Amino acid sequence: MTGPAGAGGPALAPRNELVDSSGRLRRRLLFDRAIGWALPLAFVAVLFPLFDMLYWISTRALPTFTWATLTENQVGTGGGLYPMILGTLVLIALGTALSTGIGLVAGFYTSEYAPAPVARVARIAGNLLAGVPAIVLGYFGYFLLVLYTHWGFTALAGGITLGIFMTPYVYRTADVALSNVPPSQREAALAMGSRRDQYLVRIAFPIALPTILTGIFFAMALGLGEAAPILFTAGFSSTPITSLMQPTGFLSGAVWLFYDFPSTYGSFLGLAFQAAFLSVVIVLALNVAVQLFSDRYRERLRGLYQ
Amino acid sequence: MGSAGVQPLPEPAGGEPAVPPSSSASDRSGPSLWAWVGSPLALIPLVLVAAVATVLVVASGLHNFGGTFWGILYNFVPGDPGGSSWGIGAYVVGTALTAGLALLLATALSLALSISIVVYLPTVASRILAILTNLLAGIPSVVYGIWGFVILAPFFGLTLEPSMRDAIGWLPGFGGPASAIGSWGILLAVFLLTIMIIPLTTALMREALRSVPHDLVEAGLALGATRWEVARRVRMRSARLGIWSAILLGFGRAVGESVAVAMVIGAVPRLPESLYSPSTSLASFIFYQLDSAFYYPDLLKFLVEVALVLLLISLAANVLAQRLTRTEIATATTVGAAGGLETQ
Amino acid sequence: MSATLGDVPPPDASVLTVEHLSVRAPTKTILSDISIEFPDKDVTGIIGPSGCGKTTLIRTLNRMIDTSPGLVVEGRVRYRGQDIYDRAVNPVLVRQRIGMVFQRPTVFPLSVFENVAFGLRLQRAEESTVEEVVRRSLVRAGLWNEIGNDLDQPALELSGGQQQRLCIARALAIEPRVLLFDEPTSSLDPIAAQKVEELFAELARDFAVIIVTHNLTQAARVASRTAFLYQGRLVEFAPTEELFERPRERLTQEYITGRFG
Repeated sequence: MTGPAGAGGPALAPRNELVDSSGRLRRRLLFDRAIGWALPLAFVAVLFPLFDMLYWISTRALPTFTWATLTENQVGTGGGLYPMILGTLVLIALGTALSTGIGLVAGFYTSEYAPAPVARVARIAGNLLAGVPAIVLGYFGYFLLVLYTHWGFTALAGGITLGIFMTPYVYRTADVALSNVPPSQREAALAMGSRRDQYLVRIAFPIALPTILTGIFFAMALGLGEAAPILFTAGFSSTPITSLMQPTGFLSGAVWLFYDFPSTYGSFLGLAFQAAFLSVVIVLALNVAVQLFSDRYRERLRGLYQ
Repeated sequence: MGSAGVQPLPEPAGGEPAVPPSSSASDRSGPSLWAWVGSPLALIPLVLVAAVATVLVVASGLHNFGGTFWGILYNFVPGDPGGSSWGIGAYVVGTALTAGLALLLATALSLALSISIVVYLPTVASRILAILTNLLAGIPSVVYGIWGFVILAPFFGLTLEPSMRDAIGWLPGFGGPASAIGSWGILLAVFLLTIMIIPLTTALMREALRSVPHDLVEAGLALGATRWEVARRVRMRSARLGIWSAILLGFGRAVGESVAVAMVIGAVPRLPESLYSPSTSLASFIFYQLDSAFYYPDLLKFLVEVALVLLLISLAANVLAQRLTRTEIATATTVGAAGGLETQ
Repeated sequence: MSATLGDVPPPDASVLTVEHLSVRAPTKTILSDISIEFPDKDVTGIIGPSGCGKTTLIRTLNRMIDTSPGLVVEGRVRYRGQDIYDRAVNPVLVRQRIGMVFQRPTVFPLSVFENVAFGLRLQRAEESTVEEVVRRSLVRAGLWNEIGNDLDQPALELSGGQQQRLCIARALAIEPRVLLFDEPTSSLDPIAAQKVEELFAELARDFAVIIVTHNLTQAARVASRTAFLYQGRLVEFAPTEELFERPRERLTQEYITGRFG
């Protein structure tokens, strides 16, 4: 198969140059291969916690999970989580509306219009805000929206705080996604006489949309999981809210409030696991939704990035 | 930075636009609605960061800062709730231990993971693992907390910690007595924090290693280097700023995590005797203490000061990380969406 | 398989021979049935319009093509008689014998010294050997007079032309027999490019030098034999003078007179 190498010629060269004779190379190659097997083992650190967590949360939540969990109010140590589910949806809706409104428009501006120094400062500040611990934002919301306004704990304060928490994620993703649109698209659009806002809305935005949506969904998942800022602004309540100016319960808050009651209050722990289970389900659903959507959408844009 | 500009990457991961928007094009278009509305909105993050700091400073009244700041730092045991001598020493130690150890573990694991993804694993496998890693990033911290508190704690207390004590008890910190209040303590908090920051640090390191110009990788291979030698001597070397930036951002995340830590660390404001001791941290302390502070104005002021310290630490880590890598940093915030960004 | 490894090349074998080489991507053929014999201690140029496969060809010569997944290589490339695609041959050793310099300077973010020493460090060479080889390589690449007094400076601070010559020194340091250049001057300014070009005649005293270039006059200046590739096929391979002045093929004629490409 390799052919008659050197056929007909007398053996002259002492050794073959392309074959390792010292063994040194073999050691290097073996090491390379061993590392190639060993390093991926670190994935156990990701996969074990993920699956163990999903397994145990489901195992603890599902046996007592009924339709009533979704539809009934919490009564004493039992009942359902309806007020917390409702509250979570309201808070997430407020937070998403606020953060998408600010983040998207700010992203449009930063990626297309802002003079370089302004864009630089805005980007740094966006990253900084994302670096502020959620608990610190909770204190901020508590003083500003609960005490200074004399609102007390309200769903509105919770939603605003959550919106602040989510904003940098939406903003930075929108900016990066829009800035990453291939420059040729921009040149082509402007060369055809389209205005910059027309280019932004009709060309860049559709191209960047899957990434922006991923960012929004990710911000939603993060917001959903943050108990600290909401607890200090929306308070907690086990009855369904009827107005934004009332305190409200929410799922991650329920986990925090119910998780460490002694076992004599066993059903409290059950409620905590059910709330944890529901949060995980929502996060999983968000993940799957965005994956399906963006895969399909990107298929159509594939040619752009070749 | 120097090497980052060598080659126009097929997928620019940076925050700077590939072509800086020129202002000339706007001359023809005139001012746009987006620019009018967008310019104040883009400054909202800046205003908010300043506002957070201002509100905290005002709310604290800074009654403990000034001359006594270092005093309260070294005063390890908090004074009586009505009194004036608060100390955050124990919280600082607890934070440094939990965040520091978690960061150490997460850095090692993330390097292994990101090198696997970039160098060794086939694309399909890396993609699946990236999706699962992102999933881990999205799981609420209360879920980590309840899992740690209910499921992991018995395993730590009955199995892991005794065997660690037997095996490596001679190491300082590993041989102390078991926790008096159960299995909640530093080790469990370190474990949770590690897996909570791994998605962030891994995604950032992966981007840093991936954005090493392909030319350099090829040059390494052309000199007869193996994949590992290229990874270590070329990729890690070229991406070192990005890697450090990832570590700093991971640190910021670990220091700021309040809820999950509060649920498993045992919440005891004392200096720990070993890794198995219960402890406390700055972030978890100001989280679980706030409702009692509603009734004690002095405690509230103290908590706000701790929040201020926490804010300063995270901002410092963040600013430093952003200084290290000008362009790649954008992925820090969008990293959860990395599943989306990376496959573009 | 390994039976052939004991076989030793005939003494008169040319240093690098390509036999019926084809490279296929899933949807198209990039190179088809190329056969060339590259002379030792001489400069060979490879020219052709962009997309003709000349970069692919040069990357098959030291198995850098392995880093592009999905490409199938057929035929043989013999280094001193030995097929480098033989299963028993390791690409790492192939690349130690057949060095490569790329289009853009690819200096590592290390000092000048460590850049040149890179390949030697991989082979765990003795420190004294390393110093000697680094010095010699820099001299041969014409850099010693310019930067020999400060080997600790970061290589990224050198000028573009110096960086490219540093890459040449780095390739020389692992003492290959063949040097491949893929458009080595296309990212340099004319003066820096000229300095690199001047090296080729010098290098050809000791190595087989193979240069891919889209710059016809460069090929005419430096190569003693030139191959013209078009659409993945070898159209003509002849002494440079002959190829440029009396091309046998009409395609070659049209290309060198600038009618396409």
